[in-house]
Parts: sequence; C-alpha cells; structure tokens
Amino acid sequence: MKKIFFFLIPLVLLAREELIIKVEGMHCPLCTTAVKKALKKVEGVESLKVLLETKSATIVAKDGIEDKVYLDAVKTTGYDGVIFSRHHLKD
Amino acid sequence: MKRRAFMQGCIALGTSAIILPQVSILEASESTGLKRIFYVKNSYNLQHENAKALTKLWIPLPLESAYQSMSDFKFNANASKAYVTDKNAYKARTLYAQWDNGGEKILEVTYTITTYERTSDFSKATALSKYSKEVARFLKPTAHIPTSGKVKELALQITKEAKTPLDKAKAIYLWVTENMYRDNSVIGCGVGDAGKAIEQNLLGGKCTDISSVFVALLRSVGVPAREIFGIRLGKSRFSKACGGSDEKGLAKITGAEHCRAEFYINGLGWVPADPADVTKVILVEQLTLKDPLVQKVRDYFFGNWEMNWMGYNYGRDFVLSPEPTQKPLNMFGYPYAEVEDEVLDYYAPASFRYSFISQEKI
Repeated sequence: MKKIFFFLIPLVLLAREELIIKVEGMHCPLCTTAVKKALKKVEGVESLKVLLETKSATIVAKDGIEDKVYLDAVKTTGYDGVIFSRHHLKD
Repeated sequence: MKRRAFMQGCIALGTSAIILPQVSILEASESTGLKRIFYVKNSYNLQHENAKALTKLWIPLPLESAYQSMSDFKFNANASKAYVTDKNAYKARTLYAQWDNGGEKILEVTYTITTYERTSDFSKATALSKYSKEVARFLKPTAHIPTSGKVKELALQITKEAKTPLDKAKAIYLWVTENMYRDNSVIGCGVGDAGKAIEQNLLGGKCTDISSVFVALLRSVGVPAREIFGIRLGKSRFSKACGGSDEKGLAKITGAEHCRAEFYINGLGWVPADPADVTKVILVEQLTLKDPLVQKVRDYFFGNWEMNWMGYNYGRDFVLSPEPTQKPLNMFGYPYAEVEDEVLDYYAPASFRYSFISQEKI
C-alpha cells in the first residue's frame, strides 16, 4: 500500500491541465500582451497563448489552481475573464 | 559574434511595381498651397526578453496623395527579410521586416516627404448624396465605428436642422469641438472606440478618440468619413499644440503621432478636418472655446490642413500583411511588432525601441 502511495505522489504533483479563459473585453492587440503578462505571474502556469481573434487565453498549468486565481490575474488588466473550459492533460 | 548581413532597399516610388502611387481623383483640396519639405528618419532596435524568438515588424509608410508625396525612400536592416507591401484592405503602405533568429534587430528608414497645405472651396459643394463604391465603403461601420443605436440617435439630434451633407458635417464638427475635450491621461492617441465614447458619454480623449466620434457620427447620418492616421513633422503657425521644431527645423517626432479626419462632399471630394487639434489647442494654450485663437483654429480645421504633418493610412479594425498572430489591428498609426505571438508596446518607444526625427528644409 505504502509503495502505491509513494508512486502516486509524483503523478499528482506532475498532473497538468489546460484551461481556456474568455476575455471578451480585449479590443486591440496590446490587450493580449497585458493579459498574457498578468497570467504569466500565476504560479504554476507553464505556457499560455492569448489571441485577440478568439478573445481567449489558453493556459497549460499544474493541476488544482483555483479559478479565482486566474480570474483575479485577468482582472488586474481591467478586463473580466470567464472560465470557458478546463480539462486534465494526459501525460 | 556572427553578424547578420544588412539588407538594403530603396524604391523609386511611382515606378515601382511593388507600390504604385494612389492619388485619388476624388481629392478635394487644391495641391497648390504652401509647400513644405521634410527629411524623415525612423530608427528601430527592437527589444524583447525572448531575444531569439521569431520577430516581425510592420512600419506604416506615408500614403501618396495630391497633398503629400514621398521620395528618396531607403531602408537598411539586418533582418532575415524586409519588403514593402500594401496588400491589406485599406492599401496601407507598410514596410515589413522579419528576424528569424537571435541577435540585434536593427532597421533604419529614411525618406523625403513633400507636403502641400490643403484648403477647400465650399462654394463647389453640392447636396447630392450618391457616392461611388470607393467612397461609400467609408459609410460602413467597423468594430470601433458603429453607425447605429445611440451613435445614430445622437447624430440625428445634432443634425436635425441640417439640410445638406455639408450642413450635417459642419453641425457635427461644431458639436464635437464644443462637447469633446482632450484628456492627456489617455495613452498614445487613444483607442478610438466611438461606440463606447457615445454610449457611456466618455467625451474626453485624444486625437483618435475625438476623430473616431466625428467619423462615426458622420457615417451614421450618411456622410462618408474616415480617420487618417499620421504623424506631426514640424512647426505649426497656429500653436505649439499642433507641432513644433527647433530654430533649425529639426523636430524629434517620436510620440508625435496624430490622427486627423476627412469627410466626403459631392462637388468637393474628400474634405480635411481636425477636430482633435481644436481641443488640444484649448488644453495646451489654456484657453476657452470663445478665445479668438481657438475660434480661428476651429474655423480653419474645418476644410483645411496645415501640412506640418503627414498621413499614413485610413485603416481601422483590419488585418495587416503578412498576417500577424494578433488580429484585427484597431489602427495603424504606430509601428506594430510581434515576438512570436506577443505584441510589443507600440505606445512605449523606449522599451519597444524606436525613435523618429524630422528635419524641415528651410
């Protein structure tokens, strides 16, 4: 039992997920830079892409970061974000 | 260190197959006004923390018109590729450069621009409101220039006494210059979101904000209108608010971008206007609308342009060529650059890094 437990710990720690946050208020290319810089500061974010065309941020991050943490980060740019989707990534 | 070879280019505009002059026969103004000549230099040394990433730069170049002409155009860059294009919906002349790898990203552009003061003879105006397809496109809304809802409501109210398109344009110009004001806290030239400005009664702004409201109101009552993005080049005879230079005619024009506007009147063609500079004179000179200088400027900038300025393009909410990652671009009055998918802050020349100078031939 102990062996299984110690085997699972690194899997949990390494678990990652992908989120898409809609930021409808973005209206120009510079808005995407502001949103990207804000989300980059969230601890656990590994990569992200922000696109004006879809008005969305696609984030790959460690599992378990609360929605509020992301949305608060977006809020610092003056825009409101909405979690559009969130799913675990297979290793 | 392996240095990238510099790429040079020069185009004899007017004979180039890449860009042909686009002097519209619809120009309103006589091009016989006061002639001025400016030598312009743009210098770039792009900066980004991800210095090895793919970097792309789009630089607006002056349009060709009866009132301004570019010559002696040259560029010098250590880019992987660099060329001039106007393949976009507004035919906005663009110098594009791309750096595929790391190292410095240097580019220098020089050209001469000859300008002629624009004036209008309003006695030629007619009341016809049928427009060619080329003109009628400037009646259509864009993302930032809505022409329905509250915008139209307001425009109808302002123009209720107006009978002709010229009457409508004058009424809207007077309303904008009386009710809008320059807000220096706005970054750059402003976003130019006319819908938001009118719906939320946000009447403070800078030149793009004020010009965009002017344009949206005009379009919504059937008068073709467009913003024109450009940059100040030298001294104004009216006010330091409208442009300056040293005693030898040298002007440091980094950050001197300025948006003007035009509207179309049958019999006249495109008519120049600059409602934003009326509001700037009021703020910078600390005057009121009733002051004689402001009255003079307000009267002048309806139908005239002092040409210590050059225009780049009319583009709003459009896609540059080659296609950037981020689109559409709300206006192209500033250089635009992307490092992979990240946009450099074009409102911050010191971090972007670019600088512009203009030397007037005196």
